[in-house]
Amino acid sequence: MKKVLAVLVAGLMAVACTKQGGGGDLIKIGVAGPLTGENAAFGQDQLNGVRLAVEEWNAKGGIGGKKIAIVEGDDQRDPKQAVTAANKLVNDGVIGVIGHFNSNCSIPASAVYNKAGIPQISHGSTNPKLTEQNFDTVFRVCGRDDQQGKVAADYVSGTLKLKKVAVLHDKTTYGQGLADEFKKALGSTVQVVAYEGLTTGEKDYSPVVTKIKSLAPELVFFGGVYSEGGLLAKQFRAVGVTVPFMGGDGIMSDEFIKIAGPASEGAFATFGPDTKGAPAAKGFNDSYRKKYGEPGVYSVYAYDAANILLQSLQKAGSDKKKLLEAIRAIDYSGALGKVQFDAKGDVKVSPYVVWKVEGGSYRQVK
Amino acid sequence: MPENGLLRGPLFSYLGLILIFLPFLRERVWLVLPIMLGGRLLHWGADRISASLALQTWREKAVRRAGRNAFAISLALFAVAALIPFFSSGYVTDILTSVVLYSILATALNITVGLSGILVLGFIGFYAVGAYTTALLTAKFALCGFWLALPLSGAAALACGVVLGAPALRLKGDYLAIVTLGFGEIVRIFANNLDSFTGGPNGILGIPRPAIMGWQLASPVAFYLFVLTCLGVTLLIVTRIIGSRYGRAWIAVRENEMAAAAIGIDVFRKHLLSFALSAFFGGIAGSLFAVKQGFISPDSFTFFESVLVLCMVVLGGIGNPAGAVAGAFLLVAVPEMLRDFQLYRMLVFGGVMVAFMVFRPNGIMGSLTFALEVDDSRDEREGLP
Amino acid sequence: MFFQHLLNGITIGGGYALIALGYTLVYGVLKLINFAHGEIYMIGAYLGFILISLVPALPPAVQANTMLVILAVLLLAALLCALYGYYLEKICYRSLRGAPKLTPLISALGASLFLQNFVMITMGARDRVFPPVITNTAYTVGPVTFTFLQVVIISSSIILMAGLSWFINQTRLGTAIRAVSTDPYMASLLGINVDAIISVTFMAGSFLAACAGVLIGIYYGSINFTLGYLGGIKAFTAAVLGGIGNCTGAMLGGFLLGVIEALGGGYFSTEYKDVYAFFILIAVLVFRPAGLLGKKGGERA
Repeated sequence: MKKVLAVLVAGLMAVACTKQGGGGDLIKIGVAGPLTGENAAFGQDQLNGVRLAVEEWNAKGGIGGKKIAIVEGDDQRDPKQAVTAANKLVNDGVIGVIGHFNSNCSIPASAVYNKAGIPQISHGSTNPKLTEQNFDTVFRVCGRDDQQGKVAADYVSGTLKLKKVAVLHDKTTYGQGLADEFKKALGSTVQVVAYEGLTTGEKDYSPVVTKIKSLAPELVFFGGVYSEGGLLAKQFRAVGVTVPFMGGDGIMSDEFIKIAGPASEGAFATFGPDTKGAPAAKGFNDSYRKKYGEPGVYSVYAYDAANILLQSLQKAGSDKKKLLEAIRAIDYSGALGKVQFDAKGDVKVSPYVVWKVEGGSYRQVK
Repeated sequence: MPENGLLRGPLFSYLGLILIFLPFLRERVWLVLPIMLGGRLLHWGADRISASLALQTWREKAVRRAGRNAFAISLALFAVAALIPFFSSGYVTDILTSVVLYSILATALNITVGLSGILVLGFIGFYAVGAYTTALLTAKFALCGFWLALPLSGAAALACGVVLGAPALRLKGDYLAIVTLGFGEIVRIFANNLDSFTGGPNGILGIPRPAIMGWQLASPVAFYLFVLTCLGVTLLIVTRIIGSRYGRAWIAVRENEMAAAAIGIDVFRKHLLSFALSAFFGGIAGSLFAVKQGFISPDSFTFFESVLVLCMVVLGGIGNPAGAVAGAFLLVAVPEMLRDFQLYRMLVFGGVMVAFMVFRPNGIMGSLTFALEVDDSRDEREGLP
Repeated sequence: MFFQHLLNGITIGGGYALIALGYTLVYGVLKLINFAHGEIYMIGAYLGFILISLVPALPPAVQANTMLVILAVLLLAALLCALYGYYLEKICYRSLRGAPKLTPLISALGASLFLQNFVMITMGARDRVFPPVITNTAYTVGPVTFTFLQVVIISSSIILMAGLSWFINQTRLGTAIRAVSTDPYMASLLGINVDAIISVTFMAGSFLAACAGVLIGIYYGSINFTLGYLGGIKAFTAAVLGGIGNCTGAMLGGFLLGVIEALGGGYFSTEYKDVYAFFILIAVLVFRPAGLLGKKGGERA
C-alpha cells in the first residue's frame, strides 16, 4: 500500500508540473496546418511563409520589446488532429493562429479558437462554411469557393462559350465543395454530362477517363489538388481527350505542370492575381527564395496573414477583444495588395482571376 | 523469443532515461515521469490483475486476495485519473479524453482479438456506425437526445456485427481479417458518398453535448469525467465476463478450437457472441467520440485508425484489459509527447513500435496467458527453428 | 468500351499481382501477413526514381538505348529493394518468430510508419515526377486505345510472374522454399537452412514489389511517399481473393481485382469502386472460404 501511495504522490506531483508558465517575454503565434502527412508540402510552404514574416518582425526588434516565436500545430490533414492541435496551441498561450490549410480542418478547429477568443486567420481554406458560422474570431486572406466557382463558371459559359462540361472532384470538403459551387454557378445554359468523385491517393483513373471520353465533353473541370489533377490531365491526354482541363486554386501549382507534363498545356485554373511578378510582392519573393527556395503559391498568403496578425497586435496590444477589433478594422497593404475584412471575416474584394498554362507555366488570362 | 533479460524488465526506465535527456523533452518532464513511474506500477498492477484473472482452481485462494488488490489498484488509478484535470490544462484534459475513448475502443476490440483470438482489421467500422448513428439521431434529424442515442448506437453497431459475423465468422484467421477490413472500408466509403444522408466528406456538424439532469456536460473536465465513468463501467463489465463461463469458453476456443468443440462448446456461437459484444462497445465508443468532437467526418474512420486500435491491444498485452488501457495511453500520449520532434515525430514513433515488440513481444502488461498456451508456443518454436 | 475497361483493368491488375505475390510468398513460409510490404513497393518506386534521375549522366550512346536503360534501372532498383526486404525481415520479424501471433503485425506497422516517414523526410513530401524516358505513343485498334507503356507493363508483369513460377518450381532454392512452406520443422531436419530460405523469400517478394513500383512510377509518371498504403491494401486484398499462400492465386487475384475495379468504376460509379472490390471479395470468401485457388478448409489462424 505504501508503494501505491508513493506512486500516487509522484503522479500528482508530475501532474502539478503540467501548468506551464506564461512564456515570459515571448509573443507566441500559432501555425496550424498539414506539416506532415499527405499534404505536408502545403504545410511546409505555409510554415516558411510565416517564418519569414516573423523573422522580419524580430529583426526590427519584435513587438513592444518582445520577440515573436512560432508554435507549430500539425494537423496531418485530419480533422481530429486539427482539434487536438488547436487545443494545444490555445494551451500554449498563442495570441493568434495562422491556418489551417484544409477546409475540413479549419472548420472544426475554428470552434476551439472561437471558444478561447483568439483570432484564426486561414491562408488557404476556401470552403464558404468556414466564415458562415458567425464566429467573430475567423478570418481568411484567400477567397471563397462560391466566388471561385462563379469566376470559373462565368469563364466557361461566357468567355469560352462552351455547352457541355464534365465535373470531377476528389471527395474532400474542399474539392467537392468547389465542384458543387462550379456546377451551381453554371446554371442551365451549360450541360453537365458527368459528375463524379475520385479517391485521393490513387494513381489510376482510367475507368473514369474512359467513361468521360465517350461522353465527349468540351471541358473537364476538377475540384481537387494538383497530385490527382496532374495525373488526371495526363491520363485524359494519353487516351486522346484534348479538350481543356480546368481546376481551382488546388491545381494552381508548378507541381501540376510537372506531373501532367505536356498534357498541362492549355489547362485553366482560378486563383488570386499574380504575386510572383507583382512589384508589391517582390521583397517577399526575393527573401523567400534566398531562405527556402521557390515559394509555393500559398506561401505569400501565409506570410501576409502573419503580417496582418502582427500588425494588428502592435496596434491593439495583447487584449483579446481589442486584437479582434483591430484585425477586423485593418486596412492592410502587403505582398497580396490591399486586404480588408468584411463582417464575416472574408476579404472584401474577391480575388479570383483565371490562369492558363502556356509554354509550360501559368499565365494570367483574365 | 529472444532472451532480452537485460532489457526486458527495466525497459520503461531506460526509455524514460533516454527521453529525459533529449533537450526538447526536458520541459515536458511531466510526461516522462508518469511513464517511468507508471511503467513500474503498471507492471506490478498487471501481474496482480492478470493473476486475479487466472482461472486455475488451485490458485483460487491467492487469486481472491490479489483480486481484492487489483480492484483497489484500479480504483486508485481511476481516482488519480479523475483528479488530473483539476491540476492541469485544457490541452491535457483533451488528450486524456482521447486516451479514455481509445481505451474503451481497445477494450472492446480486446474481446475479439484477445479473448476469442479473432483478428479484426476493420474494427473502426463499428466505431463509425456508432458515431454516425448518434450524429444522425441527435444532430442531423434531431430525433432524440443523447441518452437514447447512446444505447441505440451500441445496438446499431451490434446489429452490424451480427450481420457481418454470421457469414464471416465461418471463415478462418486471415480470411476473416480481410473481410472485416473490407467492412471497415465499405462503411467509410458509404459515409463519404451518401452525401444527403451523412454529409459526405463534410461530415455532420453541431452534435450536441449530453446533459445529466439538466446539467450540460459542456466543459471538457465534466465530459472527461463522464467518459472516464463509461470506461470504468466497460472495464467492469468486460472483466466480469472474462471471469464468467462465457469468458472461459472463449479462452478455451482460442486455445484449442477442436478440443473446445469436442467438449461441447458451440464454437461458432461463442465467436459470434464475442464479435457482437465487441461491436456493441465499439459503437458506444463511437457515440462518445461523436459527442466529444461535436462533428464527425469519414476522415476519422480510416483503415489506419483500425490498425492503431489493434496496436493498442497488442502493444498493451493481448487479452489483458489493463493492457488495452496502457496501450491506448501509450499510442495517444506518446505521439503527443513527440510533437516537438516535428517532422521526425512519426518516424520516431514507428521506430519505438518496432523496438517495443522486439524487446517485449508480449506487450507492456503481458498477455493473459495460461500454462496451456505456453506449451503451445513452445511447440511452435520448435516447429520454426 | 467494354474491351477498353478490360484492358485498363488488366494493366493495373498486373501491378497488383506483382505486389500480391510478395504477400503470398511470405505468407507461404511464415504464415504471417507482412504489413510493411506496401512500403517496400513504395521504396522500390523511389529507388527507380533515383536511378532514373542518374540516367542523364550516362554517355549519350548508352542513353540512346532506352529499353536497355529501363531494364537496367528496373533490375538495379529491384536488387537494391531486395536488400530492404532482407533487413526488414531481420530486424522486425526474425526475433519474433516464437512470439504471440499478432506481435509481428505491430512491428511491421511500426516499420511501415518508419519507412514512410523516412522517405518523406529524405525525399520530400512533394510528388516526385519521373523524367519522361519513353515517348508514350497511343495506338487505336478498333474500339480500344492502348499506349506503349501499357504493353510494357502487361508484358513485363507476365514475364516476371513466369520467372517466379520457374524459380519456385524448377530451381533448388525454389524447392527449398516449398519445403519450408509445407513443413518448416521437417525442412530443417533435412538440412535446409530455414532462416536463409525465409530471407530469400522476403527478397524475392521485395524484388517483385520493386519491379511493380518502378513500372507504375514510369507509367503514371509521379510517385509520393503515401503510395504504399493504398497499393498495399489493394494487393493484400488481391492475394486473399486468389487464396493467400498460393502464387497462381495471387496473380489471378491481382488481375481480377484490377478488372473488377475498372468495370465497376466504368459502368457504375467511380466513388464506389473499392466497395465493389470488397463486396466481390466477401462474396467469394463466403462460397470459397480459402479464396479462389486456396486449399480447402483454409489455413488455421
